[in-house]
Amino acid sequence: MTAWLMMERSPDGDRAPFVARVGSVGRRLPETRLPTDELMASTRHRTGVDLERLTGVQERRVSLGDEDSLTLAAGAALDCLARSHNRAEALDVVVGCSITKYRDGLVQWLEPPTSLAVAHAIGASNAMTFDLSNACAGMLTGVFVVNNWIRQGAIRRGLVVSGEYISQLAHNAARHVRTILSRELASLTLGDAGAAVLIERAPEGAPGISVAGFTTVADHSRLCLAYPARHERGARMFTRARAIHEAAIADTPTLFQEVLDASGLAIDEVDHVIPHQTSVRAIRKGMSEVGDALGGAPRNPAVVTVDRYGNTASTTHVVALAEELDAARLRAGDRVALVALASGLEIGVVLFTVDDELVGNRGNDD
Amino acid sequence: MATTIEAVAVVAGGLLRQRSGRKLADAAAAACLDRAGLTGDDVDLLINTGLYHDRNLGEPALAALIQSDIDANPQDPHPGGHGTFSFDIANGACGMLTGLRVADGFLRAGTIRHAVIVASDANPGRRMAPDFPFAPAGAAIVCGWHEGPAGLAGFRFGSRPADSDLFRALVGFEHGRNRLRIEQHPDFADRAAPWAAKVAAGLLADSQLTPSDIDLVVANPLTAEFLDSLPAHLGVPRDRMVTADTTTPVHTAGLAVALHEAWQDGRLDNASNVLLVSAGAGLTVAAALYRPSVP
Repeated sequence: MTAWLMMERSPDGDRAPFVARVGSVGRRLPETRLPTDELMASTRHRTGVDLERLTGVQERRVSLGDEDSLTLAAGAALDCLARSHNRAEALDVVVGCSITKYRDGLVQWLEPPTSLAVAHAIGASNAMTFDLSNACAGMLTGVFVVNNWIRQGAIRRGLVVSGEYISQLAHNAARHVRTILSRELASLTLGDAGAAVLIERAPEGAPGISVAGFTTVADHSRLCLAYPARHERGARMFTRARAIHEAAIADTPTLFQEVLDASGLAIDEVDHVIPHQTSVRAIRKGMSEVGDALGGAPRNPAVVTVDRYGNTASTTHVVALAEELDAARLRAGDRVALVALASGLEIGVVLFTVDDELVGNRGNDD
Repeated sequence: MATTIEAVAVVAGGLLRQRSGRKLADAAAAACLDRAGLTGDDVDLLINTGLYHDRNLGEPALAALIQSDIDANPQDPHPGGHGTFSFDIANGACGMLTGLRVADGFLRAGTIRHAVIVASDANPGRRMAPDFPFAPAGAAIVCGWHEGPAGLAGFRFGSRPADSDLFRALVGFEHGRNRLRIEQHPDFADRAAPWAAKVAAGLLADSQLTPSDIDLVVANPLTAEFLDSLPAHLGVPRDRMVTADTTTPVHTAGLAVALHEAWQDGRLDNASNVLLVSAGAGLTVAAALYRPSVP
């Protein structure tokens, strides 16, 4: 079978004797809530934009300087480990996947990597560390790499972690957005969060992660670009939101079908889809198009958290996964598709089955 | 069966030549594919491990832009074709070996047939990085998977967080603008060499080898002091080291620059066991055992 996606599926015989499972998930959300009307009241220009109606984002969590990329990542990593039977010393690898790498305020640390600081903070003294950048697909790309190493037996367990202190892009955008056509409009939906997911070797016969597949449609690589701001603290992001949305809608159904084909499933055998969280409208439209193209729908509506947390960049899937587990909406045996969609244009799917241990290790205490 | 290095290419930026980090990466990737007898369409996985490029781009991954520039399956998915997956790895001067480790996993699994690991650094832009210490350079490695015993035979990574302050690269706001500052402590090279040797010793032990079994050491040219002291710490004669010019240091592309030099000088032709070793911020060390030819 020729697939467009770079894809791994389980089981796959001798070349990958093991299966990886999602062992535990953790997150850290800043306490402070910033309602959309408050953010929009802070814009320098009279924009006339009803952002909440346009995107469905009612509020997002923001750091007031009390948290940064490292504290959010380390906090999420500790939450993840606390819910796992594994100790930090047992981690073979820690992969840092955030776009923002802010420490000590708005200082972006390019070296040493954030993953090393996270590993040090949580006591993962035996772990190989490196950072991986892939825009909002970063964490799922990290899962793809760790899944590959576990399947071959090269490692037993790895932590994929990210902390996004990215709400400052919204504050910068608030100074520049003039109209609904502004390329910084998408920056206004961003929120802060830390997330971590522990991937480990599954017991024999457990379904675990059955398929992971990714691709980069690089003809669309320049539709969303972020840089450190020239004359302001922090960064700015410029997004051609309509074009990126159209490309995603055009390309995702074909790629999702490849994942279903590889797993031998129909779309209505997938219980939950957790898409990247950009806007409520984009998620609903996207899922509707996928359903139409694939002749069915997943058993449950797509998971939406963007209304409460905004777009938390690379952390959205794991933040939402923790939310769904806490709310007891995921049951053992449920098949979950995590769908990445990111600047690049990165498109990827991780399909896994929830097991008893994952359900059991997140109580309703978040 | 193992991951093999099919080609290495290096592109130096100069006064008259382009100094864009991205364009250096583009040129290195294209030259390397050409040398390997491949085209962009053959690339299944593209990993960028360079760190300092145009305007310190934060997203997308620079690899996605390189993929577009070298025309590696950039189109929307369509029947009969296959895509390319691109992303960045950041692990300081150990990035290329980290990228090789990631590519090796996917090659081993049969997920991909060819991977390109690219690294480049250049001053990110006018007044954005005063005193930028690295020479503009790009390099690329093309990997494939072949039957037979030759190829990459193992990896080891190690870090010493206690020494993490010895090398730092930070983008922060000063004098009304965001600037990149790279701070390197004078002791960095002295601390890096013994640590590199310790990690390498672990790697050799994994394969039941001793330092005398090593025919060639290819190290990233961190500093002249690092290259000078590394052979003694490793227990390998100095003449088995590949020496690269360190007058203006090359950063993330450094390992490939040294490997390219060894390749050009024919020193890989008769080598059975080659130690690839990098040290960088963290303090992090990456080491790999490479068997270009097995007797």
